[in-house]
Parts: sequence; C-alpha cells; structure tokens
Amino acid sequence: MNKDLDIYVLIKQVPDTRSKAGVNPDGTIDRAKAGKMLNPFDAFALQAGLNAKKMGGPNSRLFAVTMGPPPAIDILYQTLEHGADATCILSDRRLAASDTLATAYALCRTLEYLFKKNGRKADLIFCGLQTTDGDTAQVGPEISERLDFTQVTYCEDFSISDNLLHAKKIIEGGTQLVSAELPALVTIANSYTKLKFKSLRGAQFVQDVKRASKEEQAKYVEIIDLDKCEADEMRCGLNGSPTIVSKTWKIGVVGGNCKMHQGKAASELVSEVFKDAVMLKEFVKI
Amino acid sequence: MAGEVLVVAEQVNSQVANVTLELLGEGKKLARKLGSPLSCFVIGHNMEAAVDAVIRAGAEKVYLADHPELAEYKTLHYRRVILDELSSWATPPHTLLMGSTTTGRDLAPRVAAFFETGLTADTIELDIGPYEHTSGIDQTKIGYFPECLYASRPSFGESLKARILGPWKDPQMATIRPGVFAKPEMLTEKPEGVEIKKVAINFQPSDYRITIKETLRELEGKIDITAADVIVAGGYGLGSADGVNLLKDLAACFENSVVGASRKIVDLGWMTYPYQVGQTGKTVRPKIYIACGISGALQHRVGMQKSELIIAINRDPDAPIFSFADQGIVGDVYHVIPEMIKQLQEKNTSKLAELKVK
Ligand SMILES: Cc1cc2nc3c(=O)[nH]c(=O)nc-3n(C[C@H](O)[C@H](O)[C@H](O)COP(=O)(O)OP(=O)(O)OC[C@H]3O[C@@H](n4cnc5c(N)ncnc54)[C@H](O)[C@@H]3O)c2cc1C
Repeated sequence: MNKDLDIYVLIKQVPDTRSKAGVNPDGTIDRAKAGKMLNPFDAFALQAGLNAKKMGGPNSRLFAVTMGPPPAIDILYQTLEHGADATCILSDRRLAASDTLATAYALCRTLEYLFKKNGRKADLIFCGLQTTDGDTAQVGPEISERLDFTQVTYCEDFSISDNLLHAKKIIEGGTQLVSAELPALVTIANSYTKLKFKSLRGAQFVQDVKRASKEEQAKYVEIIDLDKCEADEMRCGLNGSPTIVSKTWKIGVVGGNCKMHQGKAASELVSEVFKDAVMLKEFVKI
Repeated sequence: MAGEVLVVAEQVNSQVANVTLELLGEGKKLARKLGSPLSCFVIGHNMEAAVDAVIRAGAEKVYLADHPELAEYKTLHYRRVILDELSSWATPPHTLLMGSTTTGRDLAPRVAAFFETGLTADTIELDIGPYEHTSGIDQTKIGYFPECLYASRPSFGESLKARILGPWKDPQMATIRPGVFAKPEMLTEKPEGVEIKKVAINFQPSDYRITIKETLRELEGKIDITAADVIVAGGYGLGSADGVNLLKDLAACFENSVVGASRKIVDLGWMTYPYQVGQTGKTVRPKIYIACGISGALQHRVGMQKSELIIAINRDPDAPIFSFADQGIVGDVYHVIPEMIKQLQEKNTSKLAELKVK
C-alpha cells in the first residue's frame, strides 16, 4: 500500500463565460456583469486530487488553495462538497494586478505556510492546465521551479506507486509515459476524467460548516493575508510583477469593406457570393 | 549595449521544429532594432543538421548542448543546461523566445521563475520600443527604458489587445504559438564565421527525478490544417456536433480542403484540438476561409485574418466577423451551406461538361 499523501489542489475563480451575461460577442468580458465560476480546467485538477487521495494511505489529506478576493471562498466550499479536507484562501488587496510570477510567489508563500501548519510538505500539487481568463499555463511550472518539485504538465492520466508518479502526458504530436519522483507538481489536461457529482453528504457537510461558528468555519476555510504567510509585499501585486500592461487597444473594424449579402433567399445570396468570389472557382473539385 | 536576442530551439528526432525557424525570422528583426546578435540555443543529440538549419534561418551565434541524455525533451535536463549556461553570462540575453508548444509551455515558466523575470504567453506580435514608467509605490521601477521587448496578445479583459512589457529585468521573455510568424527564407549555403559554442553540461542527481518510459507520436501531429488551400471552419452557430458533417460536406466540394473549428466547439468536444484555429490553436493562411456560425472573437481572428479570401456566414448582421471578412452572408448555416453545396455541385457538372466539350 502507498504511504499517506498530502495533496494540494490550486484553483482559481474566473468570470463565468458559459452564460451570455457579461460576455460581449467580440470575446471581451465585462467583469462587472459577468458571473463567477470555478476555472473549468481546475475541476479536472480537483478530480485528480480526489483520485490521488484514494491512491494514498488511509490518512491521506486533500487541501484546496486559492488566491483572490473574498467571494472566491465559494469555490473552496465547492471543493469541500466534493471531498476536500480543508481549504485556504490568500486574500489581500496588495495582491491586485499580480502577473504570473508574482502570483506564483504569493501561492508559494501560502503553500509553505500550510506545509508548516500541516506538519509536512506536499507530496503532490495539482493545478488546472491553465485558466480561462489568463490562459498562460505558467503559474504551475513557476511554482514547481520555486519549490524544486518535479513537474508533469498536460497530464491526462496517472497512478502512484512507492514514491513515484506514473503519468501519461500530452506532447507535441503525441503522448508520453513518464515517471516523476514525489514531490511533484502536475497540471491536468481537460482530457482527464470529468469531475464527478458532489455527494449528498458533502453538500450537507458544507451546509453545516456555513452555519457553524467563525472558529469552526476557519478549520475548513482558512482566510489568510500576506502577513500571515510572511510574504514580502514588494514581491506581490503590481510591485512584484516583472511585467506590466503598457497599452491596450480596441481593435475595431479593420477594412470595414466586407461585402454584405442579406435579405434574400439563400440561393440568391449564395450565387451572389459565388459571383463576387471569383477565386473560389480555382478550388472547386472536379 | 543590449544583450542578445536568444531563441531556444525545439526539436523532435534531432529535427528543428518549424516554430523555431519562425522565431528566428522574427527574432532577426528584433536583433537588428537592438543592434544585438541573434543567437539560438540548440539542445538535443546528434544536432549537426539542426545547427545547420538554424544558421541558415538566420542565427548568428549558436549555443549547442549535445548529449544522449538530451535526445528527447525532459524538463529538468533541459532546464539545467539553459540555466547553467545563462547564469554564466556577464550580460543576460535581452530577449528570450520559445515556442508556445507543450514543450515551451513546460520549460519557459521554469526559466522565467528561476531568473525572476517576466514571461508573456501566446504572443501574437513582437517589437522593440521605448517605455516610460512614471509612478508606482516601487520607486526603483521608475525610469525611461528606450529598448523594451513589446509582446502583444489578445486579452480577456475589457479591451481587446494588450501590450505587455517588462524592461526591469533581462531576459525579457515571450512564448509564441507555431504559425504566428512566417518562416524566413532559408539561405541555401551556410554563412561563414558563425560561432558555435558547445555549452558545459553538468547534470545533477536531482535532474534524474523524471524519466521517460515511452513516447508515442501519432495521428494528432499528422493532422495539419495549416497546409490546406481551403478551410471550412465552424463555430457554435452549428448548433450541435452533427453540424460538423455539414462542414465536411462543404469542404468536400473543394480541392486541398479541410475543416476547422472555433475554440468553443473544441471545448465542447464537437471537434478535436488539432482543428482549432486561433490564438491558442493554429494560425492559418489559406487561400479561402469559410467561417460558418463563428462570431469572430479576436482570439479566433488572429489565427485566420491573413487568409486571402474570407467568407462569413452568420445569422447576426452585427457579428464581429463581418468587420473583417471579405464576403458576408447574413443567414442560417443550415440554409446557406446546403445551398452552397448544391450550387458548387452544379458548377462542378457544368465544369465537367465544359471539359467534355473540349
Ligand atoms: C485566452 C483565450 C484564448 C482563446 N483562444 C481561442 C482560439 O484559439 N480560437 C478560438 O476560436 N477562440 C478562442 N478563444 C475563445 C473566443 O474568445 C470565443 O469565445 C470563441 O472563438 C467563440 O466561438 P464561436 O464563434 O464558435 O462561438 P460564439 O461566439 O458563440 O458565436 C456563435 C456565432 O454563431 C452565430 N449563429 C448562431 N446560430 C447560427 C445559425 N443557425 N446560423 C448562422 N449563424 C449562427 C451567432 O450569431 C454567433 O455569432 C479564446 C479565448 C480566450 C479568453
């Protein structure tokens, strides 16, 4: 049997792009209007964490960690419903405008705070492959570099034996089977098993936690700030970010000379276009 | 003087990836603006031909790490040779570029975190230019920087495109998807005098913590939508996975054609990732691009706007796709596409008739 594992899942709350609210047709987001949801990629990471916990010894533990404004506590409750043992959010105004490097730094401080509190380092850290709002896929590997963990990105499936993670991962034009010593950081691809439905017991448990006293709640959802995890504020937020957005554009109509065909029967519209698009002829199959 | 512009090459079976050549082409422009050399870091085993290729693509200096252990990409081994070499330089590279592939996305953040430097993902435009930082709590950041790497990418936020820069620390890093930049003209002969520096290789025991058991390269890499003349691409407007058959039927009417997809329908599982067009998929430049039920979000547009002729079908006359298409049809894909197929088949018959007359 495998040893007991301490497993951490790193998750993020992102604007909800499933509904139309706040999503402009040009792909931009009105953050004020948009709802919030668990980053869809992180749902796979959560399932990976739950599966890994079953692979470990009977005293294995699963922790969910996020960084963000207080409403992000919602997604921590979600992980509790699914079976996480405890969760933690790093929330601090001084984190605003963090780029990936500053985010990785702050999350590492949070993780190290938790390692100390929980009495030992993580064996496994799972992240979603990327977020839907930043889409960089950088924070995971930046954390493994800082913690000197091994790393498997684009992981589609895995098992654990002894001190090794055996993983199937996506590479350019194919897949690869690798073994990585623990502790390891793993980013989970969205081809991994979908997040299972939460259990009734999990849902009931979260209801109870939400009704419990502040101290009782803090056992399951701990809220910390930069001071608590001894993070250097000069390395967080805008200060700690080596990059800055110096300029943004609205890319408007480029040519604006699209020839429009409308208000007629489809047959007419199509023949108009075929008449205009002379080039098409060259490629029609005989 | 500004440091070098360094491209970290990617290879499979000792062969240089196209994205590396593309980055060398674009990197050359940056290097000329900076007055710095364009260099290339080649890592692998039996890399003579690869070195030759990167030089013919414009590299003016090559750093070579050639070792059996490096034959295949491995996070910790590749990381080691890059970090060891760059740490020994008196002046770090000004700019460091990698492909935004599964490999580049695995490696670049580790290098960036080690040097505590900035990294812009999935860049679609690169340039060198000035930046003045005038305010902020951190006084040490304030100043005028004449030569910054400008890395621009579509953003998710309120505005559409963002220029990201980080002049405070070199190397200034960016990853770029394959196909975003054109491949440079390859010199037929290797120019003389290009320095090839063999870098020191000192693996540490900890680098062996990850081992490769098996590598399977298959189908997925073989689907290459970038080589097609005609792309019939579909979006969420197809309504369901069945709509993809409609795309296939239309594509079948053309020579050298293929189907393509927006990310939304790839995420929904209607089509697979190799068919995705856009910022986080393929960048394509076909002769004809037919967009069916695609809204034309910027992230999609950057992957196909260089197509020669863009025909868009969308039932919403205000869809953004009509702002950059050449021909727009306002209508339902389920009416328009079957009509297209019908008329193309008629054309086909008349073409055949013509041929027979001849
Ligand atoms: C960081 C990031 C990276 C991204 N990368 C990519 C990428 O690489 N590629 C990509 O494509 N997207 C990408 N996206 C997503 C992008 O922003 C859009 O969400 C996506 O392109 C929308 O896909 P769509 O046009 O298929 O769907 P929608 O935006 O939902 O558009 C559907 C369109 O179909 C039309 N329509 C509906 N029914 C019909 C009908 N019956 N007949 C005709 N028209 C109809 C509608 O009017 C609408 O315009 C990215 C997003 C982010 C944040």
